[in-house]
Amino acid sequence: MRGRRLREGAGLALLNVFFIALCFVTLIPILYALSVSLNGQNSLLSSDFSFIPKDFTLDNYLAVFTGEDILTWFGNSILLAAATVAVSLAAAVPAAYCFSRRSFPGRRLVLRWLVLLNSFPAILSMFAVYRLLRPMGLTNHRLGLIIVYTGTMAVFSLWNMKGYFDTVPVEIEEAARMDGATDLQVVTRIVLPLAKPSVVVTALMVLIYVWNEYIYATTFMTGEANYTLAAGLYSLQATEMSGSWPVFAAASITVSLPVLVIFFLSQKHMSSGLTAGGVKG
Amino acid sequence: MEDRLKRQRRGWLVSYLWSAPSLALIALIVVFPILYTFFISLTNMNVYHWFDYTVIGLDNYVRALFVFDSGFLSALINTVLWTVVNMAIQLVLAFVLASLLNIRKLRLRKLYKTLLMFPWAMPGYVSILLWKTGMFNSEFGLLNQWMEALGLEARRWLSTDVSAFICCTVVNIWLALPFMLMIMDGAMQSIDRSYYESAVLDGANWLQRSWSITIPCIRPIIAPAVIITVFTTFKQFDVIYLLTQQMGAKTGSGLHTILTYAYENAFITNNYGYSSAISIIIFLLLLAFSARWQPGGEGEK
Amino acid sequence: MKRTITLLLVLALLVPLAACGGESTDTGRLVVWHDKEDAVIEALSAYLTQAVPEVEVVFEKKTSLTDSLKLVGNDPSSAPDMFIFAHDKVGVFAEMGILADVRPLLDEGVLDGWLPMTLEAATYKGTLYQLPLYFETLLFMYNKRYMQDEQVPATTEELYAYMEQNTGRGRYGFVEQHSTAYYSAAWIHGFGGSIVSEDGVPFPEPEAVKDALRYHLKFVALMPGETEYSTVNTLFLEGKADATIGGPWMVPSAREVGIELSIAPMPVVDETGEALAPYSGVQGVQVLRFAAEDKAEAVKAVLSALCAPQIGIDLALASGCAPANAACYDDAQVADDELVQAMRSTAEIAVPMPNIPEMDVMWTVVSNLLTDVNLSGADVDAAFDEALSEAEGLIANMK
Repeated sequence: MRGRRLREGAGLALLNVFFIALCFVTLIPILYALSVSLNGQNSLLSSDFSFIPKDFTLDNYLAVFTGEDILTWFGNSILLAAATVAVSLAAAVPAAYCFSRRSFPGRRLVLRWLVLLNSFPAILSMFAVYRLLRPMGLTNHRLGLIIVYTGTMAVFSLWNMKGYFDTVPVEIEEAARMDGATDLQVVTRIVLPLAKPSVVVTALMVLIYVWNEYIYATTFMTGEANYTLAAGLYSLQATEMSGSWPVFAAASITVSLPVLVIFFLSQKHMSSGLTAGGVKG
Repeated sequence: MEDRLKRQRRGWLVSYLWSAPSLALIALIVVFPILYTFFISLTNMNVYHWFDYTVIGLDNYVRALFVFDSGFLSALINTVLWTVVNMAIQLVLAFVLASLLNIRKLRLRKLYKTLLMFPWAMPGYVSILLWKTGMFNSEFGLLNQWMEALGLEARRWLSTDVSAFICCTVVNIWLALPFMLMIMDGAMQSIDRSYYESAVLDGANWLQRSWSITIPCIRPIIAPAVIITVFTTFKQFDVIYLLTQQMGAKTGSGLHTILTYAYENAFITNNYGYSSAISIIIFLLLLAFSARWQPGGEGEK
Repeated sequence: MKRTITLLLVLALLVPLAACGGESTDTGRLVVWHDKEDAVIEALSAYLTQAVPEVEVVFEKKTSLTDSLKLVGNDPSSAPDMFIFAHDKVGVFAEMGILADVRPLLDEGVLDGWLPMTLEAATYKGTLYQLPLYFETLLFMYNKRYMQDEQVPATTEELYAYMEQNTGRGRYGFVEQHSTAYYSAAWIHGFGGSIVSEDGVPFPEPEAVKDALRYHLKFVALMPGETEYSTVNTLFLEGKADATIGGPWMVPSAREVGIELSIAPMPVVDETGEALAPYSGVQGVQVLRFAAEDKAEAVKAVLSALCAPQIGIDLALASGCAPANAACYDDAQVADDELVQAMRSTAEIAVPMPNIPEMDVMWTVVSNLLTDVNLSGADVDAAFDEALSEAEGLIANMK
């Protein structure tokens, strides 16, 4: 008994060592940026690099918050991300449910073609999207970006949640219906709680896409006050001729942190409601 | 009889209504651009006919066929190879890591997961820039600093096709793994623990359990994400372009995928009609590649 | 769960409302897109508020300016009224039909005092599409701590001898972005070649280009295997390279890190007796067609204010750029500025970047040719032939 526990402990320690090493290796480029951002000299490159900055300073972070409109950009990103996630889920959940549970003419055809259509290389889509939004007066308008982002992520949202809904046993729903629950109640009270992990994953995916998207954000929106974080960061980098690398690195790290916090907090919602509910398929 | 038909019709209508917002968005942002691109491909829209373009029929397609030369063929082979290699590594790595993360007694799993998500939390171009200048740069990059510390010769990592392919793959995996890991991890958590308990009692080892329980259980859940990732990998542009071909920072490697090849051989001409024709042809190629695969069959009752 | 969904839906409905902003088509308000550094725009903005108080000029930084312009075209609801950009895209936008002829918008004879090179650069098919403000060229810069004034090479062979003596063990005698079209054009011009002719023929003097590539190779061998900006820039700024060819934008950071920076004339190619002649870029104001018609008064007022020597002087002092208006150089402070003067004298040999649409594809063609020859070791003749046919194909496909 004791021997087994010891072996288990050793295995666990080894596992922890493995993950610490893996995290370190994965984070090397980011630690690199971190070190650059904490360093006093203005260079992304240096011939004698060390992970511990030689000339430690927080000036670059200070510069990010004072020199750039980072708080405005942050606000824009939050607004866009929240709205896009909301619209995406509001549109995709009912659709995914229908495609998973109900049968209707055209269902298979649509499912089959959605993914194929989504494979269209998007390099030239921008022009068409502009032509589409202009008559509606939605260029240089946040609503336009929200539509573009939601539409871009719609296929993924629909497919991803439909896939998960398929694994939720129908029996529970049927039981609820027997008790007189309406469609809406079935979805909100039973399917969504059970499929919470996939809803969270979908929301995160949309959120991160919006958070990191810069091509539409820089092309469709004008003026620094309308930039998102990713777009602002891109403009910092694009003017490399006069740009400051440590400030750029500091800004990159700053931009990533909110996503990590959200990810960390959302983890507890990612474990399935299925096993917790004690239902076996 | 008629009543049943009526009810069925009403059921269809409800389904359509519920799906309408999502499908409308897809129609606007995904389908419309394809149709519009097809329309533009039939016109002579270019710098010289920006507003006064006219429909010229299939001329652009005739011209576009010249792009599909030996260079395009090798780019196509590269793209397929790229997709296969990247997907294989991604799936295996994500599966192994997710399995390890799901070992019950691992207390710090939340921390590890969050740290492993970091590559995903940064805008792609930032990460690629960090890799290019921080890691691969032949003068200052960490890789060469380490090579020198080990007494090895410094290398130009991105200068030949093969080493550029490997470097791009490393960066692409680094960028894409967090998502795959998250999907796999989420899927594994939905597996009923009692399956494993009985399997352990039967004396099944990890490999056998993975094969007979984990994989069959997670397959339907991860299928959509995997399929979409296959397409994303196939049309990956940023990693290869930004690492090896960006204007003013070319590295000497001739590595091309069909998209970077089309970009360099058509899109830069500002001839929208011509470029659109090439986009449509590439799209048709993609459709042909995936023709054998039946997504409608997934989860069909 | 239900409440969450309701909340999300309400939020989704509210956001668009919150985001609604009024579009104004005020004729006293001009929107100017640009991608310039802050110092330039601050100087322009400060000057214009005081010089033309009746017009509200709004500067909006646009990172992907040319791509955005290709999208919005001449649409008054989303296009800017004017934009500030280098002259090399004038041809593309003029062919698209979105640019206004600026001459009718200016007072008669006001351009007589402009440096001819700048006007020539801004003219496409006989029409002036840009009011030139200032220009920039590449300069031969050296670090006095390592390269003494008497060591400054007058010819390329002297440069090569210097590089041979001073390159090695992590140090470089001279670095440049050797496989980048913008930088290598100087070498091609030094051999009497060019990248594209005025009427859009690629490499009109093939032998000169090949000679330049062959000759340039031995210099590349003594430079790092990277051609991008940050490597070259860092080497020079860290004091690991004694000399470089770089733009005026390198100067502020060089001074900041305490480099004893000095500027010298471009070396002369021994074989041809011509100096390395870099491209010059003329930065100026382009006016969109609809703005020239709808907002003529405001546009004229702003352009006429920008013709005064004062703004050129302000810009030169604020960011070290060389004014297009020759009268600016009479100013004592401008006359004393080593950098501005160096650029003005380089301008005499510099070649304005071609502004024809064909040049758009040539950047890629030349970059490919250079990397093939310099970094992949391809044979010059074969690589050149390939590049030539690639260029011809791309140019044919533009139409």
